Amino acid sequence: MLYLFKKLGIIIFSFILIFLSSSQVLYAYESNNVIDHLNFLTEEEVEELQDLIDEVKEDYRLELVIVITDDTQGKSSRDFADDYYDYNGYGVGSDKSGLLMLINMDKREVWISTTGKAIDIFTDAKIDKMLDMIKPFLSDGDYYTASKTFIDYTRMYSRNDSSSGYSSSGSTVIKDNSYMHRVRSYLSSPMTLLIAFVIALVVTLVIRFSSKGSVTVDSRTYEETGAFRLNINQDIFLREITTKERIRSDTHSGGGSSTHIGSSGRSHGGGGRSF
Amino acid sequence: MSLVKEYRCPNCGAGVQFEPILQNWRCSFCNSEFDKSQLTMPLEESQEESEKVAENLNVYSCPSCGAQLIADETTSATFCLYCRSHNIIKDRFSGKFKPDQLVPFRITKEQAKDIYTKWIKKKIFAPSIFKNKEEIDKITGVYVPYWLFDCNAQGYIEGTATRVRTWTSGDYRYTNTKYYRIVRSGSSRYSRVPVDGSKKLDDNLMYMIEPYDYAHMKDFSMEYLSGFLAEKYDVDAGEAEKGMRQKVEKYLENRLKETVIGYSSFNVTQKSIDVHDTSCKYAMMPVYLINNTYKDKDHLFIINGQTGKISGETPLSLVNQIAFGLGLMLIIWLLIGFGGALFV
Repeated sequence: MLYLFKKLGIIIFSFILIFLSSSQVLYAYESNNVIDHLNFLTEEEVEELQDLIDEVKEDYRLELVIVITDDTQGKSSRDFADDYYDYNGYGVGSDKSGLLMLINMDKREVWISTTGKAIDIFTDAKIDKMLDMIKPFLSDGDYYTASKTFIDYTRMYSRNDSSSGYSSSGSTVIKDNSYMHRVRSYLSSPMTLLIAFVIALVVTLVIRFSSKGSVTVDSRTYEETGAFRLNINQDIFLREITTKERIRSDTHSGGGSSTHIGSSGRSHGGGGRSF
Repeated sequence: MSLVKEYRCPNCGAGVQFEPILQNWRCSFCNSEFDKSQLTMPLEESQEESEKVAENLNVYSCPSCGAQLIADETTSATFCLYCRSHNIIKDRFSGKFKPDQLVPFRITKEQAKDIYTKWIKKKIFAPSIFKNKEEIDKITGVYVPYWLFDCNAQGYIEGTATRVRTWTSGDYRYTNTKYYRIVRSGSSRYSRVPVDGSKKLDDNLMYMIEPYDYAHMKDFSMEYLSGFLAEKYDVDAGEAEKGMRQKVEKYLENRLKETVIGYSSFNVTQKSIDVHDTSCKYAMMPVYLINNTYKDKDHLFIINGQTGKISGETPLSLVNQIAFGLGLMLIIWLLIGFGGALFV
């Protein structure tokens, strides 16, 4: 019995490893989308990120760009990000869909710029959420994990977004929709693993702590029927306190995307913050 | 392991045994059924009878754990129920063994085995030795000594309660908290609060197989012991009373707390509960015991011989738990992956 469980454990682990690694070796190396002027990333890391970006491009028709620089040519992070994206010809389809994450080391700012159908998918609230997740890694100087988080969240939001199959201009964008492909993207998502982990943990703990038996005696079991008498029953009001607290206004929660026009004349969405 | 009772059948003289289902005695040879009065009819002077039967009791002592089990002349124990030692000493019982009352067995040994088997099957983290059929066959019916207390209780609790209300107005959320001083005083009467008189049996596990249905309680008579073992108390009434007081204090405190209603929170700051006018009776309650040893530690499982309620603690194998958790995680992971992809 015990050996059976051990064997099962080994099988499970190797299964997970094989599945995760198989999804990484499918695309050839070619880095156009990770521009690291400051050499914060190793060559292997750039290669891995590029592979992931290629996958997203194929799955969701979105081009991802990661730029790390300390020279924004005097522009704000927002303008530099928009211009870099527009003038280097990034984007998928006629509306040039995609996202660019700029890590501006000069001002220690991160900016995510969205273009095309990415503007609709990545609402202000989602951009905020992504920046929340990315910022701590940047503060720690872990640029690789920050980039990977950016890609993971892009993938997650694109998958969850029901309108992701259509561009904002109405023309249909074709995704790779094969069943196995979707299965793989589900299985490699950290969210799926997390959900599976939490459910398994809860079930295991519930079974574990239900091991003894249960008490069925309560405070009335041995009481003679009708013997309980209440002699004193007093509730005396002492004082009251009223406090008030400002409700945090959530203007971003509406789900919309605010946009602006870049120097090239194209619309962009996005957001950023310092780290 | 055999516990055989051979009370004499008034018709044919063969063995007679107590049947939990019939709540009567049955002759295993001529299949006649007898009630208690028929069995004891020949001995009319009841005083003489009980003394005579008491003389026929044996006591089985275990030198390794100190357990003492009483059985009538024709019932025998072959191993110690508490430590599984086969080295037990049979002796004539001397002294006083005279419980006031008794609840007879209602569950047969076979039913008890079924109950245990079903229960242990669900304990997926328990080592497999606990599911071994040979071990399950060792299940034994024992009358456990109990002290049943009657008492009155008087209690007083005092504390602070709050009532919290929140609402929003404009950009603000308001929280209003009202504080109250709560006083409750009351009394109640409790009858037949059971405290077991055996040190060997874990109090928590015994608490979990309660309650017994006192409606079927009988005056004690030696005939009920046929086919079962009995334990003599090693916790005296005075000691048991302490345990009873704690229980009753808790019962009355909870009862008083239940009358504090309509508040968001209630904290008791003062309480005093007095238990008085206690009286107690010595009674025997039916229990099936099965003991297993795992890694040199005894694990006792207890089944209420009247209601069938079971309690016991199985060791938890960490490897089993981790393997189960990972296996479950894999299944859920694949389910989400393959299933979720269907609906996109």
